[in-house]
Amino acid sequence: MRHVLLTAAAAATFASAAPAQEVTLARFFGACEDAGTDTTTSVGEACIIQSIINAASAEIDGVTVNTLPTDWGNYYDQIKAAFAGGTPPDVFVMHAHTIPEFASLGALADLSGDLEAAGIDTSDWAPLALDGVTYEGGIYGVPMDFHANLFHVNLDLMAEADLVNDDGSPILPTSPDELLAHAEQFKAATGKNYLAADFAQFPIGVRLVVSMLWQQGSNIFDAEGNAQVDTTETRAAINSIVQLFENDLADPRLNYADSQQAFLNGEAGILVNGTWVVDFYDSEAADPDVPLTNYYVADFPVLFEESATWAGSHGWAIPASLKQDDPETYEAALRVIAFIQEHNLDWARTGHMSVLQSVLESDDYNALPHRDEYAATATMAADLPPTEHFSAIQDILNRELQAIWLTGKSVDNALSDAQIDIQDVLDS
Amino acid sequence: MTRGYYWLVTGLSIPAFIWLVPTLWMVSLSFQPNDVLARTTSSTAFGLVPIPFTAENYADLFAFGQTPWWFLNSLIVSTGMTLGVLAVSTTAGYALARLDFPFKRTVIAVCLVGLMVPEQAVFIPLYTMFADFGWHNSYHALILPRMAVPIGVFLMLQFFRAIPHDIEEAARLDGVGWLRIFWYIMLPLARPAMMTLAILTFLYAWNDYLWPLVSAQQRDYYTITLGLASIQSNFAQSEGLGRVMASGVIASLPVVILFLIFQRYVVQAMTAGGSKG
Amino acid sequence: MRSRRAAQLSQRQAALLLLVPFLATYALFLVYPFFRGVWISMHDWNLLAVAFNPDAKEFVGLRNYERVMWGEDIEWGLAAPLWQGLGLIGLALAAVLHRRSRVSRFNAIALGVVSLLLVVLPGFHPGEVGRWYDRRFWPTVGNTVLFVGLTVPGVTISALLLAAGMNRETRAMGILRTLFFLSQVLSVTVVTLIWQIMFSPRQGLIANITEVAGGTPINWLTDQQFAMAAIVIATVWWSLGIAMILFLAGLQDISSEIYEAAALDNARGPRAFWFITLPNLRRTITLVVVLQIILHFQVFGQSHLMTQGGPNDTTQVLVRYIYQTGFRDSELGRASAMAVFLFVIMGGFSVVQFIIGREKDE
Repeated sequence: MRHVLLTAAAAATFASAAPAQEVTLARFFGACEDAGTDTTTSVGEACIIQSIINAASAEIDGVTVNTLPTDWGNYYDQIKAAFAGGTPPDVFVMHAHTIPEFASLGALADLSGDLEAAGIDTSDWAPLALDGVTYEGGIYGVPMDFHANLFHVNLDLMAEADLVNDDGSPILPTSPDELLAHAEQFKAATGKNYLAADFAQFPIGVRLVVSMLWQQGSNIFDAEGNAQVDTTETRAAINSIVQLFENDLADPRLNYADSQQAFLNGEAGILVNGTWVVDFYDSEAADPDVPLTNYYVADFPVLFEESATWAGSHGWAIPASLKQDDPETYEAALRVIAFIQEHNLDWARTGHMSVLQSVLESDDYNALPHRDEYAATATMAADLPPTEHFSAIQDILNRELQAIWLTGKSVDNALSDAQIDIQDVLDS
Repeated sequence: MTRGYYWLVTGLSIPAFIWLVPTLWMVSLSFQPNDVLARTTSSTAFGLVPIPFTAENYADLFAFGQTPWWFLNSLIVSTGMTLGVLAVSTTAGYALARLDFPFKRTVIAVCLVGLMVPEQAVFIPLYTMFADFGWHNSYHALILPRMAVPIGVFLMLQFFRAIPHDIEEAARLDGVGWLRIFWYIMLPLARPAMMTLAILTFLYAWNDYLWPLVSAQQRDYYTITLGLASIQSNFAQSEGLGRVMASGVIASLPVVILFLIFQRYVVQAMTAGGSKG
Repeated sequence: MRSRRAAQLSQRQAALLLLVPFLATYALFLVYPFFRGVWISMHDWNLLAVAFNPDAKEFVGLRNYERVMWGEDIEWGLAAPLWQGLGLIGLALAAVLHRRSRVSRFNAIALGVVSLLLVVLPGFHPGEVGRWYDRRFWPTVGNTVLFVGLTVPGVTISALLLAAGMNRETRAMGILRTLFFLSQVLSVTVVTLIWQIMFSPRQGLIANITEVAGGTPINWLTDQQFAMAAIVIATVWWSLGIAMILFLAGLQDISSEIYEAAALDNARGPRAFWFITLPNLRRTITLVVVLQIILHFQVFGQSHLMTQGGPNDTTQVLVRYIYQTGFRDSELGRASAMAVFLFVIMGGFSVVQFIIGREKDE
């Protein structure tokens, strides 16, 4: 139906002699087909972003936005296929860590010279966000958020296990040993699993392990940029998770939907998931039919010496070919991005952290639900050093970690295999 | 009918019911409210009976969903491919079966070799080729690569070979040209074989996943298989299980109806094909 | 009529005209892509880099094949005694059976070749300092073979039994056949949609029933022991129909007189099935098996959508690996080398199918 309306709208605009610039937009985040144009009331990542896009299409003069179908699992494959086929979308969302791969091949437009004219002020960006979209001096994307791993907490269950402070915040571990102790205490008191997460498919496990590497001052690359995963630090990080599986305090076989459902059903004390679900869980907790009622969000705990947590960044990019061949659509695409950036506060309602200093300091932002509970994440946030092979490396780590906790592969073998495979990817 | 027969029917009904359960479950879930499904999928009789009942999922689907568009695209692509395969296979099959020309055996042999090339072995070069032509994201990109199926030619070839020669000879004596013989005599005779080929091609086209996945990224050319695949990869963030299942039902309905109508053709044709093999 | 005759085409012209549409599409969309695929497989070819700059590819000869299939310091020996032992037994069996003329020459050779492959292939392994260049390729091939090895017998045996039971032209049987065939017309994405939920440990029908029965639900799709079984079950459910129809067709060719004669010898039910049905259906069975092997070797959707190849690659299959190597890792050269490998395997089975067809005709 929308399709027809869009076409009709396009035709109408065409008739009135001001040709509407159609901008095709590709994104992940899931599908929301009836999002509407109200950017302030939509709930959940998919619907919030789609309402912003719909609003952009409705409110920007002479621009209509055509959102491409959303296929999370094949997103980057389809973007690549579209690029190679010569029909890339005019605007598309990417993770900052995939920007080097695309930018190094000349796929992305360098936006640095055109942002100001489009009303986008880079000086308002958080430095880490700017770094994320910068490649060899050029700016190849407009960042939209930071997203990090958080501890989503069921306070009622934690209280049952005596793991709540007097001020109502949960007591969280400060070392791997304490993590195990808490988990055992929790299980003894509630009979339920302390921790749940998608350890089976989505790379949440990789993000956990990498965070714990940074907390030990280590990383997956050494100073020369070579692979460095077969280390004592990696073992320590992995063991702090595996000990939970071995003692039946967490189930590694849950996928994303199942782990989320377990948490909402009150079957686990803590869910490790991203910032993007805070408002969704908050609205679920308000629903009397959902067992989860006292919902709390905590920073990912520091289990080792240093304070650090994994954080990625989503940003919008434009193909180089568009800038070169079709300046009018390029300009329209920039206006769409500018519009999305203006609605950064709306996007932050998902639970994501804003990348704009002006928003970060605003009262509206800080008044968002649970925001004060994970304020420290902003200062803990770190990302992997940029690499052109990010997705392949993440895939290797994810596979080997799953091999450890799902198929009983020894940590030694998994890490030496990962070391070899990652080095191969880096060398290729 | 003997008592043994009734036992047999009863005995076979049990696996048949089990076979039907997954489909039944999909239909039943599609008629249940999403907020109920989020908590439990086994409200009544393991969820196989849609109580509580709602038709809202379908209403939403038609009001906002893209499923109707995907559906339409699949219909266009599958019909186009079926017609294309029929045209190409009947003409070539007839020529190879009934006409004499130089290098006929060579041509047949070359086609035979083509039977061995699975589509998955050529989808990458096809992809780069279509990219060079700038053909991706179009209906012809989805249809053309699947028209060169030697199996269709062989099916028609075998069928035409089995037609007695005297019909043709009588027509030749009357001075009817080869093309007219093909069009007015052979094609009407070949209807059962064409029906089989059409049904098999249509099913194949309707179900194709890998090629559309690499060739179509834009909504205007998304087929129903791609659409449903994307829904699945968005599961955790989807608009609810009931609506997802409703999409599945909508996607399946036409092929199921088509099958129920033409079932006799499918079975008869396969029977004929199988025994001649 | 007469005037048309003058304008009539000769037989050759008519043949050419009728053949051109097929030959053109065939050459353009099958023959040319095939050779182009071989050509791509001999290049270091990045999907995006070459799309932007056609000169960005580099000829590397057979190096992609080496990188996919070979390794450093690869040795041959008794690395997998079980499989290799089975292969040796097979070889011996083939020789004995052939000597005693218990099986046809073709079957003896087929058994011999399969056994030989069983002896030779699993014997390759990296030496002490060695490694496979691509650690995942052969396990992926192994998974694909395992998938085929579970699915094909599953489909064939159940389809055969059902067809034997339903080989009567009555209304009830007609309805039963329709029910069994129905799932066959669903698209792969609908099948995975249904079964993904069916297998869900939380929302799945199987889990719901298990819980009522007092058991603990299985995490079908993320448990190493069950993931492959899960996609096999979904596939058998999906693709039983055509095999069943082919068997029904074969059964109708067996004349009822043979059964009547056998009934006089007291061969009814299972005995008749064993001594009459099976031998008479030999050719249909072979046809069904070979067709299924070819079909299921190309499995993609079930693995891609239900398990994403996991856990830890246990359900990673060849076509999905080709797709990922090509479109996620952008390594078109290596992906094409694997595609050529797939073609060689498929081609092998097609030749077998062709020979079987010819042998019986003679």
